[in-house]
Amino acid sequence: MSSIVTANNGKDIMPGANAPENREYNMFIGPNHPGIEGNFALKLTVEGDTILKAKTEAGFLHRGFEKLMEERLFIQNIAIVCRICVPDPDPNEENYARAIESIAGIEVPRRAQFIRVLVLELSRIASHLFTFGGHAGTIGLYTMPNWSISDRDRVLDLFEELTGGRVYHIFNMPGGVRRDLPEGFKDRVRKVMDYIEERLAEYDDLFFNNKILLNRAIGIGVLPQDKALEWGATGPDLRAAGFAHDVRKDDPYEVYNELDFEIPTERDSDAYSRLMVRRREIVQSINIVRQVLERMPEGSVWNKQPNPLKWRVPAGDAYVRTESSKGEYAYYMVSDGGVRPYRVHVRGASVTHGVHILEHLLTGARIEDASQIMFSLDACPPEVDR
Amino acid sequence: MSELIRTPSAGRPLAALGAARGADAIMAAIVAETGSAEFHAKGARRVEGQVKADALHSFAAAMKSRVGFEHLSAISCVDWIAQGEFELVYHFWSYRDNCLVSAHVRIDRATASMATITDLWMPASFFERDIHEFFGVVFQGNTDLERYILTDWKGPPPMRKDFVSRDFAHEHFQYKDYEPTWDEMIEGGYRGSRDKTGGAE
Repeated sequence: MSSIVTANNGKDIMPGANAPENREYNMFIGPNHPGIEGNFALKLTVEGDTILKAKTEAGFLHRGFEKLMEERLFIQNIAIVCRICVPDPDPNEENYARAIESIAGIEVPRRAQFIRVLVLELSRIASHLFTFGGHAGTIGLYTMPNWSISDRDRVLDLFEELTGGRVYHIFNMPGGVRRDLPEGFKDRVRKVMDYIEERLAEYDDLFFNNKILLNRAIGIGVLPQDKALEWGATGPDLRAAGFAHDVRKDDPYEVYNELDFEIPTERDSDAYSRLMVRRREIVQSINIVRQVLERMPEGSVWNKQPNPLKWRVPAGDAYVRTESSKGEYAYYMVSDGGVRPYRVHVRGASVTHGVHILEHLLTGARIEDASQIMFSLDACPPEVDR
Repeated sequence: MSELIRTPSAGRPLAALGAARGADAIMAAIVAETGSAEFHAKGARRVEGQVKADALHSFAAAMKSRVGFEHLSAISCVDWIAQGEFELVYHFWSYRDNCLVSAHVRIDRATASMATITDLWMPASFFERDIHEFFGVVFQGNTDLERYILTDWKGPPPMRKDFVSRDFAHEHFQYKDYEPTWDEMIEGGYRGSRDKTGGAE
């Protein structure tokens, strides 16, 4: 004998569930979630699958670095600034060192400037490879993270050999860099660059031309150029909107004005465009690394400074900017003539991308695109928290 | 290499077109549009000067709409406790001139009040909220000054110079002797833990 079974015997166990006032609900993503870049949370107000409102929540990784820096010697802070952005630490080191050099009028030897550019570009490549893996993971393409993050390890091997550290390098000192290139290092860098260049073609087949990515990323998280400028987008996120601003070109530092490279831009300013800008930036970074290796002069790598434990930086202030893999990175440093910085303000690229722009782009998006939009903006929560 | 799906388009919006000006022309434009003659060049692509607190909003509006500085790079705050002042530094960047103008504003530390510029630049909202949280400066007209990073913090704004984090730690946390037992498994013990002589025999 058969009977029709109805759910809950036909009783309405959630009366009013479909009433207009009950259609919205809150959804929390993070702070520990594979679809979130770092310790960061999204509080979404959702109806069905559509996000009506998004609020970001930060502070899970706040370490009080700006306060800490005021209580430590200038030299001691070099070890902590790199920790402000985990995937791309070198712009912090370079910015911090250059702020001191700018206030104190310290000259950096040319060879050290070339080595700094080398380190910055290797860091950019490593950071972009990391982001590709994260972005692919959010749309279920799990081979790409395995490939790109293992390829990133080859760059980290180079860092380990050059600086002793894989992730944090503590390598830029006021007045230069900590040590010269090891013997045979240039050849090993060239080999890794050749390898990554070959791999980019394979990435195209696996990921950038993958139909799943094209279907999922094109037209998602569109940030029109006027809005990008109004909301303070910088870096790859601004260039994906067709605006060719790059601190390396427009506010050049170290020896970038002597190097020949292009600024890739895209037009559509969606998640795919932002990804493609980064993919094409890797080609430019490889190009820069090769030029640096070719043209690096001989000479000293550090303009020796006085005893760091008693070292006073003259009173003054400086605002220095760097193009990090995420966008405009800046340090505002004030010295009162003492042995410690009076104030260091860190302006990470993600304070605009990871907070307001993310909140705006998520509004009206679908739940399954939230993680992808965050990764496409390459927001780095530790920069917001500091 | 596989052919990529899309081709790039290089381009800039109208705001960035036009000949880039040098520091002198920028300072002349600042004088003409804002009436402020307190600015001077400071190295390559840097101009800085003082602006009075009550004039900052109109100065910023003129910088954006008429002088051509469309990007607010950051707002920094410095606590000059000895002078009883906060210094707010507004960093404006011009995409056209590739130059940074830093406007320094001094406000009274006791009242710690400043007009918002969120109506001009949306990104100012984050910077002002951050300064409010860490220095206690109230930005009049900013409707979103909620705590963001230190949501559970009960103490004074921690970036103020009179908040000494070392004293706070002494007052709120206890020191504990570190006496691990796992080091008994290690031949010779863990140097410097239980043995107060630092492991010296």
